[in-house]
Amino acid sequence: MSALQTFMLVVDHDKQEARQIAERIAQDVESKKTTLVEIVQSLGDYVNDEDPLLRGKAVSYLSAVIKALPPKFLTRQQVQVLTTFFCDRIEDAGAVAGLETLQKLDRFTKEMAEELAIALFENFNTLQSRAQSQRFQVYQLLNELMSNHRSVLHNMGDTSLVGTVDLMTGEKDPRNLMLVFSILKVIMVEWDISRHVELLFDSVYNYFPITFKPPPNDPYGITAQDLKDRLQDCISSTSHFAPHSIPALLDKLDSTSQNVKKDALNALIACINSYNPDTVSTHSITIWETLKFEILNAQEEFLSDLSLKALHDIAKRLSEGVAQIHDQLPLAQYLRPITKECNEQLREPQQKQAKPAQNILKAVSEASAASFTLIVQVVVAPLLTLYQGADGITKQRALLETLTLLFESAITVFGEWTTRSPEIPDENPLVEFKDQFSDIFGQALMGTVKEEVSFRISALKGFLRLSALRGYFHESEIGLFVQYLNEILLKEESEGRDDLKKEAITALAEISKHQPQLIMDITFPAFVATLPDSDEGTDTSYLSTLETLAQISVEKAIFETLVRRLLTKLSLLLQKEQPGSAAYPKAILLTIFYVMNQRKLEGDPNLEMYYDKIVVTLCQAAAATASGKSMSNILSDPTVLDILGRLCNLIVRSLPRAKQDEVTNNIYTLFASADDFQPVPLSQSPSDDRRRTMILSTFLLAGLPADSTLPHSAANMADLLADLVKLSIAETSPPTQLAILRHIALLVNKFLPKSDLGVANTLLNSLLPTDSTPASETTPETIKTVFWLSKALILRLAPTTTQILASLLSLLSSPSEQTSTTASRGFAILLKDDDILSPTNGANIRLLSKQRVFTTLIPLISSKIREINIQNSDAATTPKEHDHIKPAHLAALSGILSTISPTLVMPELPTLLPLLLQSLDLQAATRDSFAVRAATLQTLSVIIRENGVGVIEECGHVQSLVTRLLKTAEHNRSASASGGGAVNAPRLRVDALRCLYLLAQPPSAENAPAVARAGKLSPFLPVRSQVLRALRFVLDDPKRDVRKAAVDARGAWLRSIEDTEDDD
Amino acid sequence: MSEMQNSNPTIINSADLPTRLRRTVPHKSSAYGSDFFASALPSLAVDTLSDYSPSSSGSDSDDDLMEEPIDEQEIYDLISTISDPEHPISLGALAVVSLPDISVKPALPGVPDSPLRTVTVLITPTITHCSLATVIGLGVRVRLEQSLPPRFRVDVQIKEGTHSTADEVNKQLADKERVAAALENGTLMGVIAKMLETCQ
Repeated sequence: MSALQTFMLVVDHDKQEARQIAERIAQDVESKKTTLVEIVQSLGDYVNDEDPLLRGKAVSYLSAVIKALPPKFLTRQQVQVLTTFFCDRIEDAGAVAGLETLQKLDRFTKEMAEELAIALFENFNTLQSRAQSQRFQVYQLLNELMSNHRSVLHNMGDTSLVGTVDLMTGEKDPRNLMLVFSILKVIMVEWDISRHVELLFDSVYNYFPITFKPPPNDPYGITAQDLKDRLQDCISSTSHFAPHSIPALLDKLDSTSQNVKKDALNALIACINSYNPDTVSTHSITIWETLKFEILNAQEEFLSDLSLKALHDIAKRLSEGVAQIHDQLPLAQYLRPITKECNEQLREPQQKQAKPAQNILKAVSEASAASFTLIVQVVVAPLLTLYQGADGITKQRALLETLTLLFESAITVFGEWTTRSPEIPDENPLVEFKDQFSDIFGQALMGTVKEEVSFRISALKGFLRLSALRGYFHESEIGLFVQYLNEILLKEESEGRDDLKKEAITALAEISKHQPQLIMDITFPAFVATLPDSDEGTDTSYLSTLETLAQISVEKAIFETLVRRLLTKLSLLLQKEQPGSAAYPKAILLTIFYVMNQRKLEGDPNLEMYYDKIVVTLCQAAAATASGKSMSNILSDPTVLDILGRLCNLIVRSLPRAKQDEVTNNIYTLFASADDFQPVPLSQSPSDDRRRTMILSTFLLAGLPADSTLPHSAANMADLLADLVKLSIAETSPPTQLAILRHIALLVNKFLPKSDLGVANTLLNSLLPTDSTPASETTPETIKTVFWLSKALILRLAPTTTQILASLLSLLSSPSEQTSTTASRGFAILLKDDDILSPTNGANIRLLSKQRVFTTLIPLISSKIREINIQNSDAATTPKEHDHIKPAHLAALSGILSTISPTLVMPELPTLLPLLLQSLDLQAATRDSFAVRAATLQTLSVIIRENGVGVIEECGHVQSLVTRLLKTAEHNRSASASGGGAVNAPRLRVDALRCLYLLAQPPSAENAPAVARAGKLSPFLPVRSQVLRALRFVLDDPKRDVRKAAVDARGAWLRSIEDTEDDD
Repeated sequence: MSEMQNSNPTIINSADLPTRLRRTVPHKSSAYGSDFFASALPSLAVDTLSDYSPSSSGSDSDDDLMEEPIDEQEIYDLISTISDPEHPISLGALAVVSLPDISVKPALPGVPDSPLRTVTVLITPTITHCSLATVIGLGVRVRLEQSLPPRFRVDVQIKEGTHSTADEVNKQLADKERVAAALENGTLMGVIAKMLETCQ
């Protein structure tokens, strides 16, 4: 059998084999064992056979051999002969593939290209009756011609234009259309299409709007949007289309489908941006007349937004190249009907139609300086006249807001003071109204009765925009505004929610970015002057002053001045013998902390100064206070020390390493000399005052790098840790104790080398009670220390994590109620985010630690509770000795739940749900029940929100959950009056109602596809009437918030669950 | 929907609608003296173990003794967020309902101890011939009946002199059987459900 015959046999089912045959023959041709002529001759009768399939296979054989030849092998003459051969048989399968190979060759000439193109256009009248893949091949070939021999096609002019349109007419396959659209776009842009505009336009516009939806699991990855984009590129490709495209697209806006309208508007915007400005101008007014209705009677916001964009883009296009503004500009003609309409609508600016009119003005005026100027010329004066004659404050306010929108446009066009782009040479047309604006807005802001807060806020916002507008107000005019703001903040009484003051602060903060000098010169001194030299105790007005100063000190210069001034004030206070209460210095420290926290301190040139003045000096002062060598006792207040500590921590973190090492040596000495202050650790019974300095030491420690060489840790930390543990167990002052506990946790978690973990484990084990330990020795302080030590180890996922968790859990089963209850609260400590033992401070917190704790504890707690439940039901009659154990486990559970992300909870839901329901049953049995139930309701609400009711239904707990929630939502008058029985605090009632509300929320679309839900009865149907009846009484709760939650919950149940019922 | 009857009504700015001023928490409540700075700091909860339940529940249970009776503002909050059937704008912003036109009174003035209350709401249609006044009245009624406890009687009327056929509409709104019949009407309930969708 010849190679040809083998090829024809296998080509249909084994492409690989067929290719190998062709490659073999190609090698033979190369090595001259055979010649092309022989191959063509070998095709013999097959190419003339009656059967198109046989002919096709024979031609494919030749194509395959040619494809396998090296590109330079064929002579020009051979290429010519083959081209002619293939073109003659172009309708046979395989010829197109051969031609595609040939046209890539260097020796394929223009003449051949033309011959090929003509063959393509003349012989495929019936292309659309062929299979998609064949059509695709033809388009592919044409596309290749377009890229390799475009000039040939271009020279053919109308022939290629009409030929291409004829070829694709009727095409429906999206893959082919993608190709067709891109071929057509080349013709539209580069050919002279003037004689065939309509033909060409119709050839693509027929496809508008695209309604294609890709099949599920679409293998080709073509989306409707891809098609829309290519089609839109065609429609907008040339201005010649405008007479056809724009009316057609505007017609489509009458469609009832919002998607069609959206596509039409998008195409229109594309046309506006790509047609030449003259063409856009011709159609501009027609477009406005149509789009006006889309905006004034907006059905959907996105349609009105797109329409506004179209109007904006027209204005922008018409402004191109405008050098001088006059009435005869196309832009002016376009804007005239727009401003007329808007002026009419704005005559009653408080009415509904004014809003769209404002939006139109804003969209069009921000298109360009020219557009802005033309609009300001005709719009501002009538608005000002209206303002003068306005009969009510509502109307005035609406006018101010309209003007403010124009100011915003002005900022878009001309920029703010801080804008870096080059300045627009055009004059700002608002300049002529400068004095009027200043008067009107100033009068509205300062000359209105204080009750009209929202009116004054509108005025303030407008004034602020004008102050930000580049090159507009003179410095003194902005200064006037700043003085108004000062007055509002310093002199006016609080009014309601203080919205005006909040706005004033925001405004000052914004001005400080543009004109920091004005703030420094006007606001700063005025505010600082009101700060007292000492706190008289009763007047706390300095607080709001400090708050304001903190918020406006964003800019570097202001920030630096503020910190300096406040530090001076603080040092004065520290030198006073009777400085009054600690509240004032505390507020000053807080202000410094706040502003420093807002800025990046790294690389701040003043960092050294802050280090010296704050860390070193104030720590020394605290040490002196602790040793009783200071006149002032401000620095013995634990909250003052806490804030000072945070401030030091912030600075220490940013210091260069050398300075940090200096801090390392002074963690405990607090930069004081050995004579002045004796460090706390490893010393004999330090006094309360001295122990309190551990607050500072802890914050200093937290800010240091993990590889610092700490004092007292030369060999290992065992002695230091043991001493600190001793201190923490004996400590009676809570703030000091917390600091010591955190100190221990930091040492163990961040600084203890892995090899020394045994030290911490040994210490922990020594603290855990054994069977022989008398209950009195396990004090709450010991348990607290145990939990903090455990926390430090668990967060770094020490190898002993599982054992630690098991020992903590066993504390809950202690016969001593006190131990059990204290331990149950401790579980909330384990995973709680701490702001000292934190990632910011470089704590070693492993990502999986929370998950590990949760998955270890849940099964243990669950089985323990089951065990207790069984015991209780067995021994129902005998008195129960250890009633506290079950609530303690549930409390521990709630402590964990309140500190982990709800996503971790989901996989364990079947185990967890029964526990949560039992937690809701905890009534006033223990004093922790409130917190337990609150945490449970929080978890439940997240579960319901994330998963809908599905999971709960699967576990079969709907009825019991709903009953318990209703019970928790109840306000029991008699119980609260008598002080016994079940009391549900208002917050619990609200939380329970919130869960009920969430239960009735329709599941979000992605969680439950409509198809899956349809025909399924709501799981709530059986409890619906129970819920509605019970909630009717909750509507009479004495607390307003509870009633509000009940109204929402009841509304949700009335709405959504009834719907489901109707559907079935 | 048929042609709008009033396509350009006046709209009140939402900031100007009556709201309940929350009791402002005195400055000293925070451990650090200032709510503003407290919000800037990370957590300030000092000690989980000792501060666990009492402090968080303590203030609540104190408050629990103080009753907050249902007042006019609360009724206003319930109905002002209902949307107008013609515009996607709330009845409050259109001034169809307003605080001075709501009253809550004992239903039996002769019996001081009676818990029964009557809520009267006067509605002001945006134009005097608004045929949707009945629908609006019905919407307000449905919302209140769904949201108030059983001891409240609801009375919804058109404010005097604001509607050409006020008497007719009032009669319809006051007639229990006609209200019940209207609520059986699927289309009407559809409109009302849509109006109530925006209630917060």
